[in-house]
Amino acid sequence: MARLNDDAQWIVLMGFIVSFSLFFLAIVVNQSTVVGQTTAEGVLEFPKNDIRDVRYEVLACSDLLPADMAEVQKDMASIAMDRKNAVVSFRISDAPPGSTFKKIYEIHYNNGVTAYNETANY
Amino acid sequence: MVNSDGQLFTIEGVAAGLIMLFSAYLVVSATSIYTPGDTHISDMQLEQLGSDALRMMNTPNTTATAGESLLQNITKKNDGERFKETFLTFCNSTTGGSYDNLQLSADLFYRDTLTKSVKQFHFAHSRNLTGGEHAVRVTEWVHLDLIGGDPLSGAAPGIDTRMQAVLMEVLLWRD
Repeated sequence: MARLNDDAQWIVLMGFIVSFSLFFLAIVVNQSTVVGQTTAEGVLEFPKNDIRDVRYEVLACSDLLPADMAEVQKDMASIAMDRKNAVVSFRISDAPPGSTFKKIYEIHYNNGVTAYNETANY
Repeated sequence: MVNSDGQLFTIEGVAAGLIMLFSAYLVVSATSIYTPGDTHISDMQLEQLGSDALRMMNTPNTTATAGESLLQNITKKNDGERFKETFLTFCNSTTGGSYDNLQLSADLFYRDTLTKSVKQFHFAHSRNLTGGEHAVRVTEWVHLDLIGGDPLSGAAPGIDTRMQAVLMEVLLWRD
């Protein structure tokens, strides 16, 4: 057998195709975990529940007397700073005369990574 | 005797070997980072579950202005046992037959105007924390009206009898 035998080229080609498809499947497996990790990290890092929670508590303060509200403002500012390293402040004021709305809510949240500022009319 | 037949086969063999090695390396390195990625995903789900359970407990079942949520009521009465039961029922319920196995440890944080500091008292736990748990932290602000009295005073030294916002902080982990 002095020369190269070129029989069975289909089998060789199929071998190549199978090995390349295995290679690409390995890449897919490799990347899929990274995708799951970065997505979950992104979700964990964004303080969605903290912001929702602050809003919920601020809206619950609507009907408080000014003296009580001042205390709740201090509560939230100091506890949020103490437990969550977040700056939280809010103010509820009466809408100016002639306005369609009754009250104006100003809510600020900042944990150093995410800042959230809202002005809502009610 | 050495001859030069079959060189193409040799090259092909070497190329195939390299491809297989690299594929194996990709697969092995993928499984080695699978564990941290996986805990992030379950942490995310656990945090969402806990936050939702706390929010359910903090939603009043009446639209009256004086309507009090279950969480407000429990906190006011310092009823750690009821908190534990309700919260774990919400968290451990599954669509299947068996219950999940989540455990909690809850603390309450409040501001003491006299010492101008944030204080803490332990509210409830279903297991003792040993330090080996992989816990996530979920929190909920609780709006408390303690003007009428101070039922927490036994457990929470120095808590003021006034309108206040306190923070319920729950460590949640799967045992």
